[in-house]
Amino acid sequence: MASVTLEHVKKIYDKKVVAVHDFNLQIKDKEFVVFVGPSGCGKSTTLRMVAGLEDISEGTLKIGDRVVNDVEPKDRDIAMVFQNYALYPHISVYENMAFPLRLRKMDKEEIHRRVTQAAEILGITEYLGRKPKALSGGQRQRVAIGRAIVREPQVFLMDEPLSNLDAKLRNQMRAEIILLRKRIDTTFIYVTHDQTEAMTLGDRIVIMKDGFIQQVGTPQEVFDTPKNLFVAGFIGAPQMNFLKAKLIKNGQGYAVQVQGITVPLEEKHNAILAKKGVGEMDVVLGVRPEHTTVRFGNKENAIESTITVNEMMGSELHLHVSTAAWDSVILRLPTVDLDETTRSSLSYGNKLYFNFPGKVMHLFDPNTEESLLYNKD
Amino acid sequence: MSKKNEIPEVDIVIDHEAGVIREVKPTNLRSKAGHERRVNGSIYTLLVIISIVWLAPFVFLVFQSFRSYLTENGGMVAYLLPKKWSLDNYTWLLTDEKSNFLRWYGNTLLIALFCSVIQTGMVLSVSYTLSRLRFKGRKLIMNVVLVLGMFPGFLTMITLYFLLKQLGLTQEGAIPGLILIYCASSGMGYYISKGFFDTIPKSLDESARIDGATRAQVFMKIIMPLAKPIVIYTVLMAFMAPWGDYVFASYVAFGSEPNYNVAVGLYRWVNVNDYQGYFTRFCAGGVLVAVPITALFLALQKYYVEGVTGGAVKG
Amino acid sequence: MNDLDYLKLTGFSKLAYKLGHFFRGIPKGFAGFLKGVGRFFVKLFVGIGSEIKDVCQTFVQGDWKTKMSYLVMGFGSFARGQWGRGLLFFLFQTIFNIYMFMPNAEFSGCYYLGKLSTLGTVATYREGRKTVYGDNSFFILLYGVLTLFFILAFIYTWRMNVKQNKLSEQILKSGKKLKSTKDDLKSLADEQFHKTLLALPTLGVTIFTILPILFMILVAFTNFDATHQPPSKLFTWVGWDNFHQLLSSDSASYGGTFGQVLLWTLIWAFFATFLNYFLGMMVAIMINKKGIKLKKMWRTILVMTIAIPQFVSLLYVSKMFAADGLINTYLMQWGWISSPIPFWTDPVWARVTVIVINVWIGIPYLMLIATGILMNIPADLYESARIDGANAFQMYKKITLPYMLFVTGPYLLTSFTGNINNFNVIFLLSGGKPLSLELSGNAGYTDLLITWLYKMTVSDTNYKLAAVMGILVFLVCAVINLIVYNMIPSVKNEEDFQ
Repeated sequence: MASVTLEHVKKIYDKKVVAVHDFNLQIKDKEFVVFVGPSGCGKSTTLRMVAGLEDISEGTLKIGDRVVNDVEPKDRDIAMVFQNYALYPHISVYENMAFPLRLRKMDKEEIHRRVTQAAEILGITEYLGRKPKALSGGQRQRVAIGRAIVREPQVFLMDEPLSNLDAKLRNQMRAEIILLRKRIDTTFIYVTHDQTEAMTLGDRIVIMKDGFIQQVGTPQEVFDTPKNLFVAGFIGAPQMNFLKAKLIKNGQGYAVQVQGITVPLEEKHNAILAKKGVGEMDVVLGVRPEHTTVRFGNKENAIESTITVNEMMGSELHLHVSTAAWDSVILRLPTVDLDETTRSSLSYGNKLYFNFPGKVMHLFDPNTEESLLYNKD
Repeated sequence: MSKKNEIPEVDIVIDHEAGVIREVKPTNLRSKAGHERRVNGSIYTLLVIISIVWLAPFVFLVFQSFRSYLTENGGMVAYLLPKKWSLDNYTWLLTDEKSNFLRWYGNTLLIALFCSVIQTGMVLSVSYTLSRLRFKGRKLIMNVVLVLGMFPGFLTMITLYFLLKQLGLTQEGAIPGLILIYCASSGMGYYISKGFFDTIPKSLDESARIDGATRAQVFMKIIMPLAKPIVIYTVLMAFMAPWGDYVFASYVAFGSEPNYNVAVGLYRWVNVNDYQGYFTRFCAGGVLVAVPITALFLALQKYYVEGVTGGAVKG
Repeated sequence: MNDLDYLKLTGFSKLAYKLGHFFRGIPKGFAGFLKGVGRFFVKLFVGIGSEIKDVCQTFVQGDWKTKMSYLVMGFGSFARGQWGRGLLFFLFQTIFNIYMFMPNAEFSGCYYLGKLSTLGTVATYREGRKTVYGDNSFFILLYGVLTLFFILAFIYTWRMNVKQNKLSEQILKSGKKLKSTKDDLKSLADEQFHKTLLALPTLGVTIFTILPILFMILVAFTNFDATHQPPSKLFTWVGWDNFHQLLSSDSASYGGTFGQVLLWTLIWAFFATFLNYFLGMMVAIMINKKGIKLKKMWRTILVMTIAIPQFVSLLYVSKMFAADGLINTYLMQWGWISSPIPFWTDPVWARVTVIVINVWIGIPYLMLIATGILMNIPADLYESARIDGANAFQMYKKITLPYMLFVTGPYLLTSFTGNINNFNVIFLLSGGKPLSLELSGNAGYTDLLITWLYKMTVSDTNYKLAAVMGILVFLVCAVINLIVYNMIPSVKNEEDFQ
């Protein structure tokens, strides 16, 4: 059980391609941290540096208090689960799980105890005699996890462990990982490109893009106060809507003018902007689909738009609409209270009005793409 | 195809996939099947002709090897089937004092056995290293091997001969000498097995290293058990090659008849000695060499096919 | 021309455009090559410079153990407790010194190195009935090259030894521990595992491939031939004379013959590669066609020619086609011909015969490869083509063939260069015959460069020309490789199946 500290860690390939820039992060003991970002953002590279599979070009990596930059992976006391499971095809599930223990010359009885215990936890006892080829994807992933937990490692690394599974199995395994984490309670670093996984699993999320950390925070923090346009767009589904808008002074506080309506800001946000000394400017306004309100027939203080696509999701509708300024916006509308006539009116080409309160707005500087309302660090 | 109005009757076929009933012209159906049959028929004819051409020389070879040496002489004759079938040639090869055939056979077998062990070790070491390990100079090694491979092999023959001579490994020492030169540079033929290693997911190595294995343990415990097909392929190739080598073997063993391999010995019978007298003996010797090798090859054909197709596709 | 314009062209003008593009690219490619060579040398000299600088710096800044190591290799390692490394360094230096400055000067490295510029001056002569041996040019050249190798290896090792000291000092200064000999040995199974695995193969290739090749390249610049055979005769450096003799076209030279043999070699390689390729593919398609039974049996029959050692099958077939061979005698018995067909005695017949017989040897190999690839062509490509209305031949032309060519492109290249050097088939079938007075240097009409080289080595002992020929074969292969590798990317762009 140990903390993991990355200080100014950099990865440079062939002396020129920088894959990870100046990565700083302190992962606390027993914390579950998720690295998330689009492919090629450097999240896997960072994980592989922690594992010792990639050399660290610059900076220091500590596991506990020990600097491990030059320590071989086998001596770092870590375990890792790979995306393609990496089970050894020529030996049985039992031997797969016993492999790391045998290499450590562990007592036979102890090996047996640990393997059977791990198999029990993961519900794969009946498959112990089989070869990996005879297992389904979900079962293989369980074996891979089992092989990692028998080691009782200090740090548990997972590299996109669920991406090779189908959607249903993925949801199920996700829940199981949460349970597993409760049982084995160690430090986890988890890499994924899926923001849902990141939000549901992580104590903290590290959002990365192009080798840079974009934001570090709890799921709630990154959802509520995204630091920049990228994070705002990446976290949350369906994606946040972005509209061109104008920030104006409105008496004591600020307000946003967008497509003919003016929405005053909340007191809290006013204070932040005032403190930063922001003047009137063009901004990118971000509003999450679930924070919009559809106004049937009520044009008062609402943006006019035309429906282009109506996606029926069951409990809710996702309405893609285009506004007069050709912004494409997604609106989320619960279906519970919709009557039949309203529902049938929500079809292609029909007009629709929507608006949103001041407290749900995110404001971004169109040049720096940084959030104007972010006030940490 | 016939025109519509010429066919009065119409068959009805239910297309289950599309869930509709279709009208199908019966002649159309029939002619399609007929066309297929004609095509297959001509393919079979061609394949039979090809098979005859392919096998005929071997069948002839066997026929001639059974021709009686005593009554019909050992030369080439103008007929195919022996007038008298006998084992004369074989008995002579295996028992006559003047025949060194068994000796040559033993020499070749010895070389082949040593080569199949040593070469396989060399090739697997090199291909594994170049495929799985990353180190300074890896690209350089591959490029150097590529360039060296473009020099014709016989260019270096005299130098090798004198090098071996310095070590006392020519003529009487030809067998260990040949083993040495066959094996010394065999690491250069790493392409095909490297191609095979490249297809084993890298995450297996990585996972094993995290599990606590050294790179040597990864090689022995994880990769080798998975590399069985390519190991068999490499052994097979290394074993077969010495049976066919004439050039180096004749140069190194020059003049020392007991140290020839089968290829040198038999070649000299047909081309250097009076071949009219030795032709059927050559045939018999050829059969004795070809039968076990062919049997081995056909038994392991599967691995050979995997090797060549994999190698060709990877380039 | 932009992409859309290009796409509008017909197949033929596309090809013309591509070829034009390729030839227009040659000067640029050549310039790029020269620039690359230049850059290499600049880098080399800069590299050597910085190495020398580092050596001096290490000496000035190093402690006495380091300084001592400049003289006695491995001293620093010993003094710092790494006795394993120290021992290796020291042993290497000792062996080097013994070899270079052996008491028996006749066999020392220095002796050979000193004679390398003349390849020996003291000729062998007879004193009465006793032969007094003088210098042996062959060994002087061979051991001279070996000594040069050894010196280079020594410089490299010495440099490593210096670097080692510098690193050790740095590590000790930063308060870390040095690796013990036990750690070093352990790392040979782990971090340094590649060294363990490559040690033996590298040694083998260096002594039995690189050294001989360098030696022969040098022989190309000497007059080492039948009249200059050590130990009785000396040979010496002659510069470019041999190249001149082989390539120039005056009557005493081999230029004309060389041109003919080269041309035939290329024709042979072309047919041996592409005829086998297309026929092999056709056989594979026939065998793999749906509805053909006994697939495995057909394949096994064909594979027989791979299984049976070539010296048996080819020698036998060669005799079958001889003037008194089975084919001729049967044809005459049946009255189809009145005199034997000159399979091996007429130049044209001989050339055609070797190409045809090579098909017998080559098709099975291609059939196997093509089978492997055909099975990998995604079935939905054919299904979609059938829905689009393609017939069997169109599917072959538009799907099978491009796919095969794309996948086997690199294979075709290696196979072409392999056929340039295809010794066995020619040697065992025709032995290069028929000979002719019109060809010099004992060459025959079916001789490839490689079989001619063999004849020069073995029957004519004309080593100098054999060496030149070897270099020329290398150049031919290298040029073909370069051209094709530069063309392949353009092929890839258009026919991307991945």
